[in-house]
Amino acid sequence: MEDFWAVVVWAGRIWLCLIISLIMIPAMFGFSLGISETYMDILVKILEWATLKLQKATAEEHALKASASSALIQREDGSMEKELEELRRSRPKPPVGGDFTLSDCFYFTRRGIESIVEDEVTQRFTSEELVSWNLLTRTNNDFQYISLRLTLVYGLGIFVRYCILAPLRITLACIGLTWLVIGTSAVGLLPNWRVKFWLSEWVHVMCYRICARGLSAAIRYHNRENIPQKGGICVANHTTPIDIVILCNDACYAMVGQVHGGLMGVIQRAMVRSCPHVWFERAEMKDRHLVAKRLKDHVNDKTKLPILIFPEGTCINNTSVMMFKKGSFEIGATIYPVAIKYDPKFGDAFWNSSKYSMVSYLLRMMTSWALVCNVWYLPAMHQQEGEDAVQFANRVKSAIAHQGGLVDLQWDGGLKRAKVKESFKEQQQKQYSHMVVGDDGSSNSD
Amino acid sequence: MGSWQARPEQQQQQQQQQEQERWHYEELAHKSGFSTEQIKNLHKRFRQLSGNKETISRANLDSIPALANNPLKKQIIDAFFDKRNQWQDDEVGSLEEIGLEHFLMVMSHFRPPAHKSGEEERQAARRQKLRFLFNMHDTDGDGIITLAEYRKVVEELLSKSGAIGHQTAKAIADAAMLEVASINAPHMAPDDFYEGITFEHFQQILKGLEMESRMHIRFLDVDTTTMRCGKAPS
Repeated sequence: MEDFWAVVVWAGRIWLCLIISLIMIPAMFGFSLGISETYMDILVKILEWATLKLQKATAEEHALKASASSALIQREDGSMEKELEELRRSRPKPPVGGDFTLSDCFYFTRRGIESIVEDEVTQRFTSEELVSWNLLTRTNNDFQYISLRLTLVYGLGIFVRYCILAPLRITLACIGLTWLVIGTSAVGLLPNWRVKFWLSEWVHVMCYRICARGLSAAIRYHNRENIPQKGGICVANHTTPIDIVILCNDACYAMVGQVHGGLMGVIQRAMVRSCPHVWFERAEMKDRHLVAKRLKDHVNDKTKLPILIFPEGTCINNTSVMMFKKGSFEIGATIYPVAIKYDPKFGDAFWNSSKYSMVSYLLRMMTSWALVCNVWYLPAMHQQEGEDAVQFANRVKSAIAHQGGLVDLQWDGGLKRAKVKESFKEQQQKQYSHMVVGDDGSSNSD
Repeated sequence: MGSWQARPEQQQQQQQQQEQERWHYEELAHKSGFSTEQIKNLHKRFRQLSGNKETISRANLDSIPALANNPLKKQIIDAFFDKRNQWQDDEVGSLEEIGLEHFLMVMSHFRPPAHKSGEEERQAARRQKLRFLFNMHDTDGDGIITLAEYRKVVEELLSKSGAIGHQTAKAIADAAMLEVASINAPHMAPDDFYEGITFEHFQQILKGLEMESRMHIRFLDVDTTTMRCGKAPS
């Protein structure tokens, strides 16, 4: 019995030593031993092989789809006015009296059915579909037994992911978070020398690097000359809370958010000791002026770090960018847009908050193959003359969507949970009624 | 080692399941006129709308954001639950929830015409689409669109935005109804009561209207021969 425990303790020590030497020390000093690169190469080769196998097997059944975002139907490009004009022109009798007729119903009915078959918004809140299976159980929709080798690889994959990688990653994540709390609190005790800023940045980046290793994240940064500077606001598209880890691996940001209790609260309080972040109480969040004022104060102080904001307000599934809320664009600071695009082959990064809780989401992340993403830093943007906050926000959004290869949508991410605002409906109805009544107001005036 | 022995049984079960599903799709394809590929895609959409349940309720369709803008939203949603659109004559009333089959049957009204359809088939398709639209207006199911029902449609289309008052909407409806009456019953005496638009009248009004191209949804056909990624299978 004692021998057994002795062996376990001894194994645990070796395990920790390995982790510290092979992973933590390189993370702390920012160099890489090449282990994760080798892992990724092997992984890519295996997935390619699996894809070919699947293709061969399902060739007779024509089961492959063209692309992950395949549209179901083809839509007319014409505007409402144009189509209604055409419909009316083809009537046998010239329209007289009530200009609108039953024929208008055709247009609206067809548009309604099109919306039911496919709408741009509902599909953004579920995970992106893969072109081919990536050997994870969770993305497997219709598993067919294809070959012994494929199943073996799949089984081996499960073993590797759950028994080797997951404990490793969980250990790393715990170490990373603990280190973050301890390190930032320690730095917070120092007086305000220049060294303090440098140390606090180093501690932050180091801990985020450890967390990133904890998720096997392979991040590629593009255009690093556009990296956000102090006194600016960094905006990015939002897919998951892990976005923060991804961005903070490269530079230091000041976070904005609500004060939480529990573990998150501890982390928040520790972080704020070493460098200023902007945490709001729940009640303060409702007051837009207060929020804007605090952000403005932070931005105007040129010694403080750039603020990181996700203007979409909610997690979207990384195939599109939804409406940016205009609050952060009204402050008048320089905006540094950043586009983040995840590669879904290695693991689905999207957090479907209605389906998974935070903990089960993190566990899913830790049992995926890896987290591969590209980060593009876009050149800084300023609000131009005669441009209001909404237009500015849309301009930034288009730039991010264009760079990341995402679809640029006008819809509000809040539609995940709420219904469409009445004002949108009324706009459409006003347009239509203007067509009907405005054109022959004379014959219909009572 | 037990897991390896279980594999052939699991394999059999899965194969059976897929066979059943395939047979189900083929049956639906036969009934509705869609291809199995289209049915598969529509089934996926059905699951998305129903939240992975077996049936869709009105609330599910109500929550589609793009539909909120449509002035005929209520009528369109009701059309899905209307028994008359299920291609079974003489059934009236409405369903509470619809399954995949009902969903597809309603969708089949908007199926694009087959390339090689003869004149008769095209006429039949046209009649189907007009019937769908007629049912949408005729809310009480008695086979006649009365003035009251027609007025309701006009109101839905126009007056909710507040730009058009109730009176104006009423006036438009009355004018349109008068026009219909003058086409269909031109020799009515002034005291005769015009009951309403029957389906024949409806067809008559819209006789010249070219609506085939406007009343169908063009499904993108996923052409599988053009999309092999990677090496071609030997």
